[in-house]
Amino acid sequence: MDGHDNIQLIDPNLARVNVTYGGQNGELIDPVAFDASEADVRAWVTEALRTGGIPGIPASPNADITGYVVERFAPTEARAWAAIFCRPKAEFGAAR
Amino acid sequence: MLRCTILGAGALGSHLILLLRNEPLELTVIDFDHVDSKNVLSQFHPRGMVGKLKTNAIQQTMQFLYGTKLTTRPVRLNDGNCDVLFNDAGLVIDCLDNAPSRLLVQTGVRLRRIPCLHGALAADGAYGRACWDEKFVVDEGAAGAPTCEDGRHLPFIALVSAYLARSVQEFAATGRKVGFEVSPFGAVAT
Repeated sequence: MDGHDNIQLIDPNLARVNVTYGGQNGELIDPVAFDASEADVRAWVTEALRTGGIPGIPASPNADITGYVVERFAPTEARAWAAIFCRPKAEFGAAR
Repeated sequence: MLRCTILGAGALGSHLILLLRNEPLELTVIDFDHVDSKNVLSQFHPRGMVGKLKTNAIQQTMQFLYGTKLTTRPVRLNDGNCDVLFNDAGLVIDCLDNAPSRLLVQTGVRLRRIPCLHGALAADGAYGRACWDEKFVVDEGAAGAPTCEDGRHLPFIALVSAYLARSVQEFAATGRKVGFEVSPFGAVAT
């Protein structure tokens, strides 16, 4: 989750897409529109996962992100760029 | 001194308490459950505490190891006791393990305008979050094994707990609400 040295060059209407899949994490190479539809984001991420298009995540020809969450975060003081996260559901915290 | 109410003394909650021990906070811990033997693998509860209430276990452990004093409430959160349990909290930290309880917390803190930080883990140690309530949407229907079913994910649990503690530390010191999305390979502030 690094490599944001050129983040100031990103259009404020665009967002970086951070993906966690199969225990690995990476970002789509190109930013996408912050208000892109969820279906579009899912399609781009799936395609990238299947073809090895996300640095840090090995290609997985059968990648399937059904059940994953697509979540958007506007820029903040702590993070100067908009972000879209594609991640597994996080329901647990203290399993009994 | 900021009064923090921590809901859940399991994987995230118990480690969070450990990591907040040096902060100028008044900690109250709420959990109705008991320590069982498998908990020892992934939670900050010593083997000698098996069978005890988690609240009593963490209270005694922190007192013994560090002289840290905790207030404890060994009860299950429900619609009827939110008023009492959240009454004097300046910050609520949700370290629970299921969607219905999280929804109850979310409703309770929003009604009372209490700042709330949610800690959460995905199944199989795949993801973790320290997310402020303003941005938090409760995930439901997660598939897979809970991350704290065995000891394999202890380092990741500790990592997410550390980000939770860092969020609390920043809020207590400056009032800033910084959250973190945590993968096994790092985190992004949110």
